[in-house]
Amino acid sequence: MLNPKKLFFFLALLASSTLLAQKCKIKVSGNILDLKSNQAIVNATIYSNDRQQGALSDSQGYFELKNLCEGELHLLISHIGCSPRSIYINLRADTNLTIRLDHSNEVLNEVAVQADQAGRALAPQKSLSAEKISENAGSDLATVLEGLNGLASIGNGAKVSKPVVQGLYGNRISLVNNGVVHSGQQWGNDHAPEIDPLMAGSISVLKGSAAIEYMGSSLGSVVLVEPRAMPTDPHVHGAAQYHYESNGRGQVLNARVEQKAPWIIWRLAASLKKSGDQKTASYYLRNTGREEANTTLHLEKRYAKKWQTKLYYSLNSSKLGLLRGSQIGNLSDLQLALERDEPFYTQEDFSYSIDAPRQEVQHHLLKATQLYTIDKDHGFELNYSWQLNERQEFDLRRAERSSRPALSLSQNNHFWELKYHALSAQKWHWHSALQYNLRDNYNVPETGILPLVPDYISREWGAFFRLHKQWEKWALDVGARADYIVQNVASISNSSPREVIRNRNTFFNPKASLALSYQFTEALKANVNLGYSQRNPAINELYSSGLHQGVSGIEEGDPNLGEEQSFKASFDVSYRPNEHWNFEALSFVQPISNFIYLQPQQELRLTIRGAFPVFQYQQSNALLHGIELQANFDPEGPLRFDANYSYLKGDNREEGIPLVFMPPNRINAAVNYQLPSIGAWEKVEFQIANRFIFEQKHLLPSQDFVAPPPSYNLVSLKASAARQIGQNRWHFFIKADNLFNIAYRDYLNRQRYFANDLGINISLGLGLKF
Amino acid sequence: MTKNKLRLLLGVFALGTLVSCSKDEPETPVIPNEEELITTLKWQLISVDNQDTLNFLFRDLDGDGGNAPTIETMDLKANTSYSARVQLLNELENPAEDITEEVSAEAEDHQFFYQTSMTGLSVSYADSDLNGNPVGILTNLSTTDTSSGELLITLLHMPNKFANGVAAGDITEAGGESDISISFNLNVKP
Repeated sequence: MLNPKKLFFFLALLASSTLLAQKCKIKVSGNILDLKSNQAIVNATIYSNDRQQGALSDSQGYFELKNLCEGELHLLISHIGCSPRSIYINLRADTNLTIRLDHSNEVLNEVAVQADQAGRALAPQKSLSAEKISENAGSDLATVLEGLNGLASIGNGAKVSKPVVQGLYGNRISLVNNGVVHSGQQWGNDHAPEIDPLMAGSISVLKGSAAIEYMGSSLGSVVLVEPRAMPTDPHVHGAAQYHYESNGRGQVLNARVEQKAPWIIWRLAASLKKSGDQKTASYYLRNTGREEANTTLHLEKRYAKKWQTKLYYSLNSSKLGLLRGSQIGNLSDLQLALERDEPFYTQEDFSYSIDAPRQEVQHHLLKATQLYTIDKDHGFELNYSWQLNERQEFDLRRAERSSRPALSLSQNNHFWELKYHALSAQKWHWHSALQYNLRDNYNVPETGILPLVPDYISREWGAFFRLHKQWEKWALDVGARADYIVQNVASISNSSPREVIRNRNTFFNPKASLALSYQFTEALKANVNLGYSQRNPAINELYSSGLHQGVSGIEEGDPNLGEEQSFKASFDVSYRPNEHWNFEALSFVQPISNFIYLQPQQELRLTIRGAFPVFQYQQSNALLHGIELQANFDPEGPLRFDANYSYLKGDNREEGIPLVFMPPNRINAAVNYQLPSIGAWEKVEFQIANRFIFEQKHLLPSQDFVAPPPSYNLVSLKASAARQIGQNRWHFFIKADNLFNIAYRDYLNRQRYFANDLGINISLGLGLKF
Repeated sequence: MTKNKLRLLLGVFALGTLVSCSKDEPETPVIPNEEELITTLKWQLISVDNQDTLNFLFRDLDGDGGNAPTIETMDLKANTSYSARVQLLNELENPAEDITEEVSAEAEDHQFFYQTSMTGLSVSYADSDLNGNPVGILTNLSTTDTSSGELLITLLHMPNKFANGVAAGDITEAGGESDISISFNLNVKP
């Protein structure tokens, strides 16, 4: 798979054979350089597990390991601010290495833009490394990403959420897991993506203008979850991790083993997570536990030189509790709940049990890839992927029906792709593909309730091309894609008597993007991204009908909705005047015509459960715009400072009202104190971080049941270090989130109607590499 | 490199093709048996003195669907005592299913509440669950002066029946979710 690390940690092996060394007189020397600046990295640790021998790089970045015996050698190179890098050498003679580490400012876990990665050239991009992900082992994908500038999460509860990128989420952004667009029930705001961040090597957010390479409904941004680079070492290696969280008394076990065996390259990874009732500053949130079991298997095989096969399978299986007090029957229940300080059913005691309301979800992903390399500049890639998403949601029901799901959906997704890439003599990169996707969404008839979304089969045919080239100062990236979609829908009427209604819809969605970047000086670079994309209405927007707990109202789809058209322009500059300072600024504007949204109706519908507001899917013209700023200061010495700010505003221009569920503005700031070593402890790091979320004031009182919560400020502390113990390298960390245990509510968390958000959480982590 | 592995891989692709080309139209969905649905509330009042029987109906056959329910207005006599009984029906089933049975089987997890601002009307519970808390399927009604107004009948699922005031019919601290919430227009006539 394409993995940024292959590029980030570009390793040049300049093996020079001098004399045939005598046994145990071999010298391994080398230079450790920064990937970007090519400057020497001082005080990097080079350690050999098998020889129990180590060295530090000097002021020139140079190191030596002497008197080594012939044979296999494993080196671990680590430095503050970089993920440790393992190198395997079959040692026969004196060897000189040039090792490049990506030592860019990693503050708030961000990695800078890399060009020429599939689908990501020139797109403003932020990434999280595996190390940072593992420090949030107890969190879901959206929460892990929340530290990145321009990101937020929306959901129902602290760990049942989905990422929001520049104000868009759900159907409007694509989550790409291992090259496959994640396919599930994306329409629900409380449907967290079924992806375990711990299985990833890195997670990147591309805030580009059009996700040209990916089939799907994205209006620009893409979250890429990418696996680690496959191992290059012929021995079995791996890592294991244990993580404990005080809030929810959560435990996580995570392990992986991998090997480049003579006949196949393989990796097996698994994680287990369990947590119970979470706690706000002062009370437990009943029934907010979570259980998860995930596993992945990677196989890779190269035949001869030109053929390569990859197989990937992952299973994500989770059981998520929703706050007991958040299941309500009607508006007056909501009114009563809103007036309370603590939610109904709050208990004195902690519990691990997960009852209704809860979600049980299983997601399978199987991907087969066949690569055929014509020559070094041309190649084909054939991909097939299958996803099965089975979602069951349990509500509190009468007569022991609580054990029967109230919603039970099974979705099969088959995706085919034939890709071709080429590099011309003039260094033009060409990427193109033909794609086909079939989605079969099926309501398992076990609920005894009218389905919220209908059964449908959707077939999509797509094709794209992308062309890019890098000159000395300029870079250009253009692309276009087109998708043709046929939806066959079989829904059940909500009139009496019930009957089956069939619909057939066809849509055509063109997309185009243009990105230009210019390097003014070594320090100053600017990018412009322009993109047009179109999204057909999602199935819930067309056909949902009935009571939706999530909005305490009756949601009605409109089968006559048309496509949304989005134009997005973003401009970003990065300025790095010297090695101490880094500044980045981004601004974007995104007008969306025929923007589909839920419009509250005048009518209150009377049902036997009381009167409910009616919301109807309508279309209007919307405008989103935002600014993101970032500054990093890295003076000489162990201190480092980082700060970022994001501003976003969304408006329904036709109605002259704000858009609902837009993330409020936020500021993140952190101070890091890093030392290469204290005694036997290496990479010692302390961090104090602060997150300030503004109040969402851009909303009319009539647009919500209750005003958005006030601004809040969270402080977190972290300390981490690594240590060599015997043959193995251990990594330790301790972290406190919401250090002052403040009580707050977050606008995008539906649970705010009922309860406060999470109080203090102390987590401990222990990692081992072998 | 083995031919077998290539064949295996081709097999996986071929299987994918087969699966993905097999269907075009979704099969006819199974119309769920909405046995839980409550379409109808029937409130039967029998006057204690002369055994007059009054029936009031709330009926909404399409559930949350677009057709408005029908609600009958209640006319009661002043200065009269009634014994009342609530019956819940799912009339989408044939014959209609009596949901009241489900409620009384789980009496500890259910309670009806009768709320009114009318001064000439009072409702008291006439039944209890195994914990000795009221359920509210059976009630006693008494009217005094002539008046008119609204009576709100609420059925809560999973209320805290031990919370403050709940056993006396005060809904404030009860929690739970509303399975029924119906307002009847009521006239107490001479």
